[in-house]
Amino acid sequence: MDPREFDVIILGGGIVGAGTLRDCAMRGLRALLIERADIATGASGRNHGLLHSGARYAVNDPESAAECIRENRILRQIASHCIDQTDGLFISLPEDDMAYQRTFVDACLKAGIGAEIIDPALARQLEPSVNPELIGAVRVPDASVDPFRLCASNMVDAKLHGAQVRLRTEVTGFIREGDTIRGVHTRSAQTGRTADYYAPVVVNACGVWGQQVAEMAGVTVGMFPSKGALLIFAHRINNTVINRCRKPSNADILVPGDTVCIIGTTSTRIPLENCHRVSVTPDEVTLLVTEGAKLTPSLSETRILRAFAGVRPLVSDDSDPSGRNISRGIVCLDHESRDGLKGLVTITGGKLTTYRLMAEMATDVVCRKLGIEKACETATTPLPGSQGRSYEEVAREIWEAPSTAQKAAAARLGDVVTRMPNPSRQDEALVCECEEVSAWEVNNAFERMGVSTLTDLRRRTRVGMGTCQGELCACRAAGLLAKAQDCAERERADLLKFMGERWKGSYPIGWGDTLREAEYTQWVYKHVLGL
Amino acid sequence: MNPQEKTVSKHNFEECMKCTVCTVYCPVLQVNPRYPGPKQAGPDGERLRLKDPYFFSYALKYCMNCKRCEVACPSGVKVADLIQAARIKYDKSVPPLRDRLLASTDLMGSVARPVSRIVNGVTGLGVTRSVLDATLRIDHRRVFPKYSGRSFEAWLKRRAKEQAAFPEQVAYFHGCYVNYNNPALGKDLVKVLNALGVGVQLLDKEKCCGIAMITNGMSAQATRNAEHNVASLRKAVSERGLKVVTTSSSCSLTLRVEYPNLLGVDNADVRDAVMMATRYIFERLEAGATLRFRPGFHKKVAYHVPCHMERLGWGVFSERLLRMIPGVEFMLLDSACCGIAGTYGFKKENYESAQAVGAPLFEQIRAVDPEVVACDCETCKWQIEMSTGYTVQNPISILAEAIL
Amino acid sequence: MRFDTVIIGGGLAGLVAGISLQQAGHRTAIVSTGQNALHFFSGSFESMDEAPERLKTLFAGAGIRLHYSAGVRLMPLGIFREAALSLEDVSLLPEPCFADKVLILGIPGYLDFFPSFLAEGLEKQGIVCRTSMLNLPESVRESPAEIRSVTLARMFDRNWDRVVQQVRLLLKDEDGVVLPQVFGLEDPSVPERIRQGIPARVVFAGTMPPSVPGIRTQLLLKRRYEVLGGTYLGGDEALEARVEGDSVRSVTTRNLDRHALEADHFVLASGGFFSKGLRSNPFRVWEPVFGLDVAYDEDRNAWYNDNFAEDQPYMNYGVRTDEALHPLVEGRPLRNLYAIGSVLGATRPELGSGGGLAIRTAFHAVDEILEAV
Repeated sequence: MDPREFDVIILGGGIVGAGTLRDCAMRGLRALLIERADIATGASGRNHGLLHSGARYAVNDPESAAECIRENRILRQIASHCIDQTDGLFISLPEDDMAYQRTFVDACLKAGIGAEIIDPALARQLEPSVNPELIGAVRVPDASVDPFRLCASNMVDAKLHGAQVRLRTEVTGFIREGDTIRGVHTRSAQTGRTADYYAPVVVNACGVWGQQVAEMAGVTVGMFPSKGALLIFAHRINNTVINRCRKPSNADILVPGDTVCIIGTTSTRIPLENCHRVSVTPDEVTLLVTEGAKLTPSLSETRILRAFAGVRPLVSDDSDPSGRNISRGIVCLDHESRDGLKGLVTITGGKLTTYRLMAEMATDVVCRKLGIEKACETATTPLPGSQGRSYEEVAREIWEAPSTAQKAAAARLGDVVTRMPNPSRQDEALVCECEEVSAWEVNNAFERMGVSTLTDLRRRTRVGMGTCQGELCACRAAGLLAKAQDCAERERADLLKFMGERWKGSYPIGWGDTLREAEYTQWVYKHVLGL
Repeated sequence: MNPQEKTVSKHNFEECMKCTVCTVYCPVLQVNPRYPGPKQAGPDGERLRLKDPYFFSYALKYCMNCKRCEVACPSGVKVADLIQAARIKYDKSVPPLRDRLLASTDLMGSVARPVSRIVNGVTGLGVTRSVLDATLRIDHRRVFPKYSGRSFEAWLKRRAKEQAAFPEQVAYFHGCYVNYNNPALGKDLVKVLNALGVGVQLLDKEKCCGIAMITNGMSAQATRNAEHNVASLRKAVSERGLKVVTTSSSCSLTLRVEYPNLLGVDNADVRDAVMMATRYIFERLEAGATLRFRPGFHKKVAYHVPCHMERLGWGVFSERLLRMIPGVEFMLLDSACCGIAGTYGFKKENYESAQAVGAPLFEQIRAVDPEVVACDCETCKWQIEMSTGYTVQNPISILAEAIL
Repeated sequence: MRFDTVIIGGGLAGLVAGISLQQAGHRTAIVSTGQNALHFFSGSFESMDEAPERLKTLFAGAGIRLHYSAGVRLMPLGIFREAALSLEDVSLLPEPCFADKVLILGIPGYLDFFPSFLAEGLEKQGIVCRTSMLNLPESVRESPAEIRSVTLARMFDRNWDRVVQQVRLLLKDEDGVVLPQVFGLEDPSVPERIRQGIPARVVFAGTMPPSVPGIRTQLLLKRRYEVLGGTYLGGDEALEARVEGDSVRSVTTRNLDRHALEADHFVLASGGFFSKGLRSNPFRVWEPVFGLDVAYDEDRNAWYNDNFAEDQPYMNYGVRTDEALHPLVEGRPLRNLYAIGSVLGATRPELGSGGGLAIRTAFHAVDEILEAV
């Protein structure tokens, strides 16, 4: 069999692409995923990390709300090691309309979301950081999810099911015969080498870039990119997701995620060509802090670690001929029935929380086209790492008295750590001290998770995501990577690029301790290391 | 205030720049490979503990709370406070009997003092020390502090009237050590203060400051003592308008710093009135008071600044005081921990590391070869005397010897 | 408490000023907020070459030897920089190609030293490189997460002869050896002993902080200062100053609270942002002790260059001074206060930066103070 031939090719290494790859592979298809950069580089990795209960959409978009709560329940089972079961609160402040709370709760219940009005005093007890002036609170089953971990786990599992992944590979065009797509032309971003891959079905899961990809195939998908700015705080202030109980607006969700918490977001329409370079403006920072402090007053006095922005892949509604109406829901387009182009499916819209459902919908279409009748099993098959044990149980299974770094590894990798070779003493050396990532975990990422740059490593291990933003750990990781790949010259450039990328998130909030850290980092890199 | 105008939270661990300076000065890290070090145990670990208390590590018990990390930190992070606060919050284990006994300095004192001759005799015996070693894991190589037959409290009570006659008054938080082990130091203080025209009063009722309880996992009892002591201090300071002096740097640190930072006991209204006696005396002399020194007095003194004195930042007062004594040949020892850290060094499992921590200091003392080592901490005194054979005196006692 | 001069900041600038003044018979105190930038010192004084005689004397008095010769020095990531005035452990090489064959020795579990980068950098110069590892005693490896430069240096201070033995065994036909800069923390003679003991050209390459040569320098300078009778208030922080007219009268500190430090002269050597000599929030940059005039951009967007590798404008910010380094308050100089070192930022570019700036300005302030007496 020609190694360039597959049953299905999936374009895009975000969460939807990864989920579709897994679903296709689990249904027995020979599947290939092609990603221009790395996993979760677009909207998948640039969001709150909120596993929606659906409550936020209950009033305005009951369909999405119902999808969210169903998927929320599924993901808690199949992706437990990526999810922190925090619960969520929707709080009403004195300036908010309490009548809205009633509407909100009714809508939640109607969508199947267990929303429970609780006493403000109880809310303060459950979440001590919450604005003490709240006048109402509703508890909902929100949770926090690590999107990088989720995406990586889907990829790893897909590979275990025989799928292949080509990262840093760009699609340069479609191979087309008449009205049928037969495959794609690609070029490696690293080596420049070109290659063609063939499959009867190609899935466009490129998120906001799906419009350009569709154009390449000669069909239209109308994207309405919407920028959202977010801020990461240096430590976890809240242990429950805090939302504002009002019509969805700016900066009204605060999500605890791993060692940090994230406030967001804003919503600004931007032109498609700007999607590659979104940055956070000082006005957005001010807005996020000011509004965020209404959820949790301590935000106004907590060090901000980073500012970042993502682009929501909103899609124009096919049912509206003007193209002006935006669908907030999942959009799955079979271009054969829609445009008469065979062999291309676009899956877009939706949310991080509903990625699995989106993957299922896309895979259903693919299977129908290929004449395969196999039911989807992703809703019941746990991801690697999520075999139903807590990280405490996992760590206890391997280590009698686990160190903090070992506990942290178990929390990040779930039960996967039980299958990793035992660390040597040397491997226990810490690379990232803020997030407690050892050389053992870093080398594991090199060997098993397709890492070729420090940024790739960050997405898979949290190296460089902590308080020092790479000052201490990036160098150490670069040393290991240079050794593992035997290419010190490229790695030196990669190190500088990584620090540059970290700096882009720091300078918009560059004051106080963040500015001190930046100055220290400059000394270390320029004067001590001589970069 | 505008948002983000000020960004410092409790224990200010976010000010940590990950510069690793604390790890350079941590004495435990140098000798105990099981200790994760102040940076990881403190600010790094705190971020993980905020996520889930599961990330608390029992290895934090190796921190001896010397506070050298805090003195070294360029960012002012309260590293040791973070570590001790985490132990208080997350360590649910019950401290062993040995630790509880070692921590109960006032209980031990009140039991042992009336029968001190027997106790001293017994604890001095090799066989007793072997038994303590085997049963309680108190290291047999340790020399025990002697108990005094009569408490300082009783001695001063009998002199209350005579002390009250002085034109000015000060209250004295004598601590367990002066009360039960070394009343002579208390008497030296009374002599010096009287010479300055100041009478010495007891607090209404003082209890052990609780420092040993904090490091031995008995924070509930430490908190009760703290509340009691702050109430007593308040009476002296607010009602009687007195300053309160101590002769122990650890008691001072506990009363001033640990109560609010670790035990959550508010002392804001009395804090500034509590100080080391050397500071009180120095300030009086600076304000014009005088002491009459014994002619012909001579002593070669090497001054060791105890860890908690470093943290208070008040070594300078003892130093200045010693330097102004005619006939004192003064030498400042390098800033280093002696290794005892209160009850830490008494524990069998810590003996070796305590001695290793102190080794550079002991070497320097031997090289300098002073007549006495001066030091404001009782546990440093035991450790240095036991480890070097040199006599250790509180600066107050040296001052008392030097005046007429 | 009364002194002739009170110095705020216990880093290189503060200690050089303090030692010089003590030597001239002044009574001084240094208030130091914890440890300082010497702990991250590369070992070379950027923007300085041959040391002025008084600096050599001052350092020699503390037991620190400096050297300079034209050429290059090897940086930790395998890049060469122009030689500068350096501590003796920094090897100054006439040219980058300092040997034909070089043995680069790492340490197992020590991630703050970069043999792969060094090898690549040296190979670019035509040097044949081989990488190997030094062995460590088991006791140190028990805590791999805490293998830092200082941990290693403390151990090697006692066992430097075993390092020499090991290197001799590992050495084949190489005429050069590159070792990490982790020697001689408390015993300054160790780097030289290692050089002497190895029959090849030994080059020490820097590590990630903490810097062993930097800390040793700090320890020796502080000890020298204290031997000269200086009062080093470590771990304390200057809070505010009492100013009368154009003169500073006293400074209060966190530990000494109401007990103010009085003096005839004051020196501000409190460093840049990292050291909190300058502070910032989203709205402004300020100097916290005296409320001095600070040169900075009002528009926060101008504080940064979005390219990490470029010069960052905020790093040039500093207190405004007159010609004599008297800082200004609302444009008027404080006559008995001097600003030295990094708190000046790049407001006086002619004085250099980093270590060079610290030393030049410290001597300047000392001269002014001594002249005023």
